[in-house]
Amino acid sequence: MGWGEWISESKRYIIGTLVLGGLLALVPFAINFDMYYLLILSTALLYGVYVVAWNIIGGYAGQLDLAAFAYIGLGGIVAAELFTIYGVTPWVGMFVGAGVAMILAAAIGYPTFRFGIKDVWYALMSAALVVILNNIFHLPELLGSLDHYLPSKYGWMYLRFPTYENLYWFVTVTLVVAMLINLKISHSKTGYYLRAIREDELAAEALGIDVRKYKLLALMMYAGILGFMGYVSIVIQGTYSYHTFDSPNSITIAIMGIIGGLGSIAGAFTSAVTLKIIGEYLRSTLGASIPGIHLLIYGLLLIIVGIFKPDGLAGVWVSLKKKFVKKNVRGEKK
Amino acid sequence: MSSGKAVLEVNGVVKRFGGIIAVNKVSFKVYEGEILGLIGPNGAGKTTLFNCITGVYTPEEGHVVFLGQEITGLQPHIIAQKGILRTWQKVRPFKKMTVLDTVTVGALLRIKSVRKAREKAAEILRFIGMPEEKFDVLGREITLIEHKLVDLARALATGPKLLLLDEVAAGLRPHEMEELANVLRKINKEKGLTMIVVEHVMRFVMGLSNRLIVMHEGQKIAEGKPEEIANDPRVIEAYLGTKPL
Ligand SMILES: Nc1ncnc2c1ncn2[C@@H]1O[C@H](COP(=O)(O)OP(=O)(O)OP(=O)(O)O)[C@@H](O)[C@H]1O
Ligand SMILES: [Mg+2]
Repeated sequence: MGWGEWISESKRYIIGTLVLGGLLALVPFAINFDMYYLLILSTALLYGVYVVAWNIIGGYAGQLDLAAFAYIGLGGIVAAELFTIYGVTPWVGMFVGAGVAMILAAAIGYPTFRFGIKDVWYALMSAALVVILNNIFHLPELLGSLDHYLPSKYGWMYLRFPTYENLYWFVTVTLVVAMLINLKISHSKTGYYLRAIREDELAAEALGIDVRKYKLLALMMYAGILGFMGYVSIVIQGTYSYHTFDSPNSITIAIMGIIGGLGSIAGAFTSAVTLKIIGEYLRSTLGASIPGIHLLIYGLLLIIVGIFKPDGLAGVWVSLKKKFVKKNVRGEKK
Repeated sequence: MSSGKAVLEVNGVVKRFGGIIAVNKVSFKVYEGEILGLIGPNGAGKTTLFNCITGVYTPEEGHVVFLGQEITGLQPHIIAQKGILRTWQKVRPFKKMTVLDTVTVGALLRIKSVRKAREKAAEILRFIGMPEEKFDVLGREITLIEHKLVDLARALATGPKLLLLDEVAAGLRPHEMEELANVLRKINKEKGLTMIVVEHVMRFVMGLSNRLIVMHEGQKIAEGKPEEIANDPRVIEAYLGTKPL
């Protein structure tokens, strides 16, 4: 679909996204630039970007991808190493990282989709990818066992700052961009095709959809966004190592996506940000006595959603709207 | 009809499942603009034959030629892009998509603009008699019969050259069946769309088809005009399981 058509048809959603971005940008003022809260909020919005990206492969295309940190880690480490070793600015490095993540996605996705690996097999394979990269980068020739630090250079040039508000704003902007990308996909032919694939691959194929091609496209778009954000993840973590290929958090991203509701951009955002804030809170208060408590909570929420609201937060929203707004569904379209 | 040009040629197609020969050396032609009925008792191999034509299965022997081009063993989406569309005996709905979105997926095969594809989808839905208030209902919330119509609509929306219908009328009430038959006749007349119709309901398929093929235990056992078929002893035997006198 052309850009003009997209803008005119999705005006409401585009404006909504921009307004959300504007409001988020004001938050630092509301919390008096408190460093601790800004760090948590930056992390939460970063997870917002991850889960919104996951929505492309998991929500639209319906592939239960558990490899988020394979792409985040690889993209981030590429940008970090380019910066540390060759002094390349992260503004270039992040794009290189995104490119490398997309190449990895293509290398994994092509044979996977070619041989029709899906459902639980796809999930397991993608989960294994994170573990494999974790092991590969543990090799002494690569990152070894040590933590690596970014050079102590600060400023917009390096996206590193002594305080967190600038990073927070940068993440806010990328979140808005990621949401707009999703919105564009959702309203375009690609979005229709991916949803059809999610619903029924065989029926989609019989309607002329090149299922493999579209799945690969979705995987690469997801990997590209994650690879781009990898450097930000490292900046927030402070260091990078083979641990950057983080399995539990890769699964967390998928869980957040499912709780948000497959294919819902607002659901992905809401679920990621609230769950991450709750998770960080629990970790800082109970983390010492009950390690992994946040993962337990995510798991429980997932089960509750699975039992009562398989459509996730987005589904809750739709039922609330149906209940309280006596309006026919058709009226809201145009 | 046989004077027209062949849209589809099936030559000696064989498909086995383990020990069962589901389709056994079946050959026939479909001519431009005709409605070919395909009948046969349960397990005769009709659906498997459709699957061989549409690329869901690759035939173990034989050839499928569409508009003079060999399509045997091509991938399903390529066959669909060439213009062979089908509906499914066991419905395969897009449960979490609305009726209109589902049909739009079909329309997007030939129409680039999503807006125009949605308009086309709406037009097709109206044409096949789907009530407007169903357009925004999710696939999982409609009835089986509506599924059949949506399935037909999304195939039609692609602008097919050959349409394979696998028991679209099954489960319809008599008057609904008559409406559907009228719609199919209209599509056939106005759009010149060639069709193969698999159906157990004899009245439906006899009234609709220009010509019929009968399958039994994987083989084609008869071919001809509806009235010839109705009186063919082999067909009667296949259906009733008794030897004709
Ligand atoms: N996927 C499969 N695996 C194994 N056997 C199959 C498969 N599909 C079909 N068969 C067998 O092949 C034969 C033909 O089945 P098919 O579904 O093509 O018949 P049909 O004429 O469509 O029957 P119906 O009128 O009941 O739909 C049957 O014996 C069936 O059990
Ligand atoms: Mg059948």
